[in-house]
Amino acid sequence: MTHRLGIDIGGTFTDFALVDDTTGELAVHKQLTTPRDPSESVLIGLAAILDQTGVPIADVASVSHGTTLVTNAVIERRGAITGMLVTKGFRDVLDIAMERRYDLFDLRLKFAEPVVPRALRAEIDERVMFDGTIATPLDEAEVEAAAAHLVEEYGVEALAICFLHSYFDPCHELRAHEIVARRYPDLRLTTSSEMLPFMREYERWSTTAVNAYVRPLTDRYLGRLESGLAEMGFAGRLLVMTASGGMVTPAIARRFPARLIESGPAAGALMAACLGERLGEANLLSFDMGGTTAKGALIRDGRPLRRYEFEVARAHEFRQGSGLPLRIPVIDMIEIGAGGGSIAEVDDRNLLAVGPRSAGADPGPACYGRGGEQATLTDANLTLGYLVPDAFLGGRMALDVAAAEDAIGAVVAAGLDVDTVRAAWGIHEVINEDVARAFRVHASEIGFDYRHCAMIAFGGSGPAHAIRVARKLRIPKVVFPVGAGVISAIGLLATPISYATLRSGRTRLDELDQDGLEQGFELVETQAREVLLEAGVSTDAIDMERRLDMRFCGQGHEVEVRLPDRPAVAGLAELFGETYARIFATTPLTAAIEIVNWKIEASGPRPKFADHLHSFAGARPGEEVVRNVQAYRDDTGGFETCPVVDRYALAEGRIVDGPALIQEDEATTVLGPGDRIEVDTFGNLVATLMQTGDVP
Amino acid sequence: MTTYDAVSLKILQDRLVAIADELVLSLVRTSFSMNVREGYDLSCMLFDARARLLTQGTYSVPSFTGTAPQTIAHMLRVFPAETLRPGDVIMTNDPWMGTGHLFDINVMRPVYKGERLVGFTMSVTHLPDIGGKGMSSDCTDLYHEGLRLPVCKLRDDGVLNDLLLDVIRVNVRVPDQTVGDLMANLACNEVGGRALLEVMQEYGLEEIESLSDAVNAHSEAAMREVLAEIPDGSYENAIQIEGPSQPIRLAVSVEVTGSDVMIDFTGTDGPVRASINVPFCYTRAQANYVIKCLTIPNLPNNEGSMRPITVMAPDDCVLNAQPPWPTGGRHSVGHFVVPLLMGALARAVPDRVQADPAMMNVFSVQGRHRYGEEISSLFFLAGGLGAMRGLDGRAVTPAPSNMTVVPTEVWENRTAITIEKRRILADTGGAGQWRGGPGQEVVFRNDTGHLLEFALMGQRTEFPAKGLAGGGEGSLRRYEVNGEVVNPKARIELAPGDRISMREAGGGGYGDVAQRDPAAERADRERGYVTEPSTGSRSDSTDSEKGGGSLFRPESP
Repeated sequence: MTHRLGIDIGGTFTDFALVDDTTGELAVHKQLTTPRDPSESVLIGLAAILDQTGVPIADVASVSHGTTLVTNAVIERRGAITGMLVTKGFRDVLDIAMERRYDLFDLRLKFAEPVVPRALRAEIDERVMFDGTIATPLDEAEVEAAAAHLVEEYGVEALAICFLHSYFDPCHELRAHEIVARRYPDLRLTTSSEMLPFMREYERWSTTAVNAYVRPLTDRYLGRLESGLAEMGFAGRLLVMTASGGMVTPAIARRFPARLIESGPAAGALMAACLGERLGEANLLSFDMGGTTAKGALIRDGRPLRRYEFEVARAHEFRQGSGLPLRIPVIDMIEIGAGGGSIAEVDDRNLLAVGPRSAGADPGPACYGRGGEQATLTDANLTLGYLVPDAFLGGRMALDVAAAEDAIGAVVAAGLDVDTVRAAWGIHEVINEDVARAFRVHASEIGFDYRHCAMIAFGGSGPAHAIRVARKLRIPKVVFPVGAGVISAIGLLATPISYATLRSGRTRLDELDQDGLEQGFELVETQAREVLLEAGVSTDAIDMERRLDMRFCGQGHEVEVRLPDRPAVAGLAELFGETYARIFATTPLTAAIEIVNWKIEASGPRPKFADHLHSFAGARPGEEVVRNVQAYRDDTGGFETCPVVDRYALAEGRIVDGPALIQEDEATTVLGPGDRIEVDTFGNLVATLMQTGDVP
Repeated sequence: MTTYDAVSLKILQDRLVAIADELVLSLVRTSFSMNVREGYDLSCMLFDARARLLTQGTYSVPSFTGTAPQTIAHMLRVFPAETLRPGDVIMTNDPWMGTGHLFDINVMRPVYKGERLVGFTMSVTHLPDIGGKGMSSDCTDLYHEGLRLPVCKLRDDGVLNDLLLDVIRVNVRVPDQTVGDLMANLACNEVGGRALLEVMQEYGLEEIESLSDAVNAHSEAAMREVLAEIPDGSYENAIQIEGPSQPIRLAVSVEVTGSDVMIDFTGTDGPVRASINVPFCYTRAQANYVIKCLTIPNLPNNEGSMRPITVMAPDDCVLNAQPPWPTGGRHSVGHFVVPLLMGALARAVPDRVQADPAMMNVFSVQGRHRYGEEISSLFFLAGGLGAMRGLDGRAVTPAPSNMTVVPTEVWENRTAITIEKRRILADTGGAGQWRGGPGQEVVFRNDTGHLLEFALMGQRTEFPAKGLAGGGEGSLRRYEVNGEVVNPKARIELAPGDRISMREAGGGGYGDVAQRDPAAERADRERGYVTEPSTGSRSDSTDSEKGGGSLFRPESP
């Protein structure tokens, strides 16, 4: 059992990374995803990578798996017929939602429909009050009758049980669960209190409904995967990646499949954190840009920032507020509709607009020659000479420069009354600005100072834009890791088993004593510990991290405060004050402070592989400069000769000065005049950017 | 002078908007005011050195659309630009110079590159309190409403004006929060200034006047191009809304000539002795908002995009009230400028207009939590949205302003007032080819053990949301205490155990209901939005339940 395998299912490709923990040797493989049943491409690709490397399956100790299955099921509405039991009087919570428009000026608003239609939501007479008193006992007969009605009349396969104030006292939800489970043992049940005991019924119930909705399909999928692996002779452990950047067992994944949403990008951010650790960079920006979206994460003190908010199935492109809210622990990611396939056009303001619409992989950019006629970012980068037409995807796909120029010329350049090259530069630079803006806005939202951070750039399109973006953010250093196109799959190998959860409970700091503090965490800690023990982590190997959401009484937004080991109640106000001052750059007030949410993250030991992973450096000794091309430079507005350097030929310590293109199979790193990169001992390209003076 | 092609213009313009957005977000995060936090009742702007508005943050309530150029002009009249120094910060909450009521503080700071003035930044936020009677509709003059600050220096050459802060502290109920919000404005303007200088450095700009000219000219051209598509003509509308003692008439005529639009509110009734009068700046902001929605929703707010639009209202009508008429609740009348104008322009741009929304229910609650804490806060509930051609009105969604609802669980924790139910009301959205949004019923029970006071400011209790293009009316709003209908504009006392039911109005429909897609009709029935057979217009659902009511329904003006 010397090897571990990471498998990341993406929209187009399923990526595989196989590491030998004894030598640090890494092999990667890409397989086209089979959208109908993704377990198919997993099993085919698995056989292929084992075949290529000659590693017997018996040597594979674990398979770490990340999948978009759940996300896609919600977007494409392929989940189960799901029913819901709710507190009497609150059947419409999912329709009333936030009572909010996500855009004030655009009157044609589109919202995602709830996954449980109104007819399948049954009201139950019961009422727990905000302080835990039982105003109306649970009508048990009504629970049984409602479940029977939903099963017999509508054929529901899954049921969400959602009562008010269950974050405080889940007794009615638990009892209803018991009653229904006894009568219908095959029905997939989720209670809102087990999903996440968080105050705010709409978000909690929406999360619970989505979870119930995807349980049957996740169950079937994991079943196929497990039996397929077993047939191949796999005797190791299967682990599944969650959005919070931790692995769980298939049993937990089956119970909380909503937690798997967005797990692929999470693995990328985690890998960036892991690389940062090796490079001695504790504060980082992770920048991942592929074909349709760009994703960013901020990493503080070696840990990607988390939050308990996510939105799935946005009905209006990438607009926040148009999707279904999920309260699950996720790595805090920025997502914008910017990628190689992003379509450029002239909008109704007569201005250049790029994305969020994407040409996707089919027909794809005009230069793919598959019938795409619209100009995309990839077409612009090709026109500017930032992509080498016959070296795309390692030369497996030829790009048509004339088609790219025609597409840009016909619509964009003509519409803006500029020449084709200027239009192409505009497309390139608009994306740089969009990405920089997303980082900037997000950093300002959470009070993160990125100016002395390093950026880790990957994904198929990330390396072509990273240096420009970093400059806009005044970031001094950009790292281009090995395996830019399969970072998420590698990241799966660096992810520990972990489980994060929280509980809402408002407590004023001046009314809290030491016992109260310990009790506040007890419930969530017990739950998290059980999950880890079940996954085989020993008690003394569990790292329990506590955080509190706190605020001044009267404020509506909380500040997350990370607690040290064995925190003293007396020190909480000061910790809060420090965090508050860092985020808001203002002196804290003298007002009373309260705790709102109690958060816990339990983790097992992080897999050790990062120390000696370096197989890509100097992987293919040969000519470094493989040719010269003409590439655009914006300061002169003209083209100049630019060498194309083979990344696989660059040995440790090599320095390359821009302008240059550094070519690898899945990405091209663009260096401008004055940029310099050096190959470090791990095979990463490290760019140090020219610094301009700081603005006073 | 630098010239800018379409590519540079796009990049720089978006960058400037992004700066303003960033400021908006940081202010939202730090604010104590619930209106700011939940409803984006704030705005941030950048100006060039001539005080010409270059850009405004994307997210803010409609009432701030394009008010800033006038505000900064007032400020510079008192403190001319050439007398300002780098450490100066100017502010005012004057309703007629700012945004229409004392709650909104306008804070401005000059930006210097070295010694040279290169521009200004400004932020506006709704303060948690400004003294006086608080937000209520029963003030009869401005002096009831709180502290009025003329244009003054919050900071003078780097030195904070402590006397001014002390004056504010002793005049408001929550001094820490109010002064905290002022300081947040101060900090956000610092960040804005720095961000502007960074952009100038990155792109090698010595000044931003030429950029400002280019951006404004481009926005104006884009706006004119769309306005020119609107058929020339005179489009009129008049509506009645509920006043303190009798209905108020609002009238408008919109003159479209080529790419110029003249909006004239002549024919509107005079001011009233209640704090719902509207200073002209607020009226103009709402008018600008409508034009923006109907033309290019994502066009940046700057002087160019507003240049083709002229707004006028006769002196001393309710939409151009003069001091000292009280204005605290100016939204109760001012929000109606939106449906008034939509109705006028329905003939001109039938594909773009939206039928009347239910308008928001804004009410304040005073009392005591079961655990002793004081309760005193404003709350919001939405009714249905109006339909448009091709789009049903969404149920229970606010318009024209925007507020996030307080969840039941949060509400009950905060107040100990139990919410017994919160359900969508069937048959309340106006019928039509596209249906108006249904309203909701929310029932509160006083479980605090103390006497509670609800100050109601309900609209649409006499005049329903009208449909467009033959669409039907939405149902009316109604409040009941223990089953009895109550005055929708009164202060209501609730004894322990009493219930108040708020039945929120429905939105107007669009188009002839006979043309409604049967599949859409079926879906409505499955969802329970519709239970009755379709007719041209909706009666209030409980009218039929209770055998009618004495609700006054006027003829359409």
